[in-house]
Amino acid sequence: MFESFSCNDQSDVQDDRRTFRRLPIMVEPSKMTERDGPEDDLLLVDRVISGDRRAFESLVRRHEQRVFRVTLAVLGNSEDAEEATQDTFVKAFRHIKQFRRESRFTTWLTRIAVNEALQKRQARKNTVSLDEVAEAEMKVLPHRSQQWHEDPEKLYGKQEVRMMVEEAIRSLPPIYRETFVLRDVEGFRAEEAAEILGLTLPAIKSRLLRARLLMREALASRLEETPTFSKRILVTAGKMRDMIAIKLMQAVGQ
Amino acid sequence: MAMLDCKEVLDNLSNYIDGEGSDVLRKAIELHISRCGRCRVVFDTTGKMLKIVTDAEPFEVPLAVSARLYARLEKVLAEE
Repeated sequence: MFESFSCNDQSDVQDDRRTFRRLPIMVEPSKMTERDGPEDDLLLVDRVISGDRRAFESLVRRHEQRVFRVTLAVLGNSEDAEEATQDTFVKAFRHIKQFRRESRFTTWLTRIAVNEALQKRQARKNTVSLDEVAEAEMKVLPHRSQQWHEDPEKLYGKQEVRMMVEEAIRSLPPIYRETFVLRDVEGFRAEEAAEILGLTLPAIKSRLLRARLLMREALASRLEETPTFSKRILVTAGKMRDMIAIKLMQAVGQ
Repeated sequence: MAMLDCKEVLDNLSNYIDGEGSDVLRKAIELHISRCGRCRVVFDTTGKMLKIVTDAEPFEVPLAVSARLYARLEKVLAEE
């Protein structure tokens, strides 16, 4: 996968090992589980099945944001995502008795949303061909190797960082965008994302790796540290010193 | 465990960030990135990217979109 990536060429690397810190390990999406209250979802589902339509409204309120974001990730435009979101909830209402509680309600609902969105994408002949997939996979190499600013919000402010993230997500090829949004934006476990997209776990993990590297590349141009003026002078002086040494050695015939 | 090369380390980047992989593999990755500046930056900045995405406030559904959703559902539920 990373054939052309090697640590032999480190000329453009900021090699200050003191800046290395342990990576923030992604925690399993406990945050999402608390926020969603899967037990509450089940109670609401029971109430809908027993004829309480207000309970369905509560379910919609709890999940409309996620369903819209996921359909937007698959389709890439708001108009289609809106239609897919509406169709998702209509279908969920009509088929709620088929929810077997083998997975969380959120997973079941999101699978409907993804299917609705994929059908729309196919209907608009906006499918991703195998060639496009292969091309996208070939392009995923970590090209940038500059460190980033520690706190981007100090540089740009919350709103701008949020817009940068949205823009970067939009720039991903669809197969990576949907995987990234499910796993890293909506917090589904990799196994759940695989179930929702109808893919194997290794396929999801492979796409997730590429999606994360592409996201990193997309954000890098705005977040990389610019070498300070004094550092640039030192680098330039070092290069000039080396050139002078080479010229001198050539002059004395060595 | 034998020393990993850059390709092997990057192939395992996502799993490492998610806290997966055996202790032996994770230690081998940590040994590599302690010695390889380029991989270290890729690992570190990918972690930072995920933190930025996690910390960013999620995109909100526009109010008009939400209103049209409820209008359609009200109609469908009334018909069912």
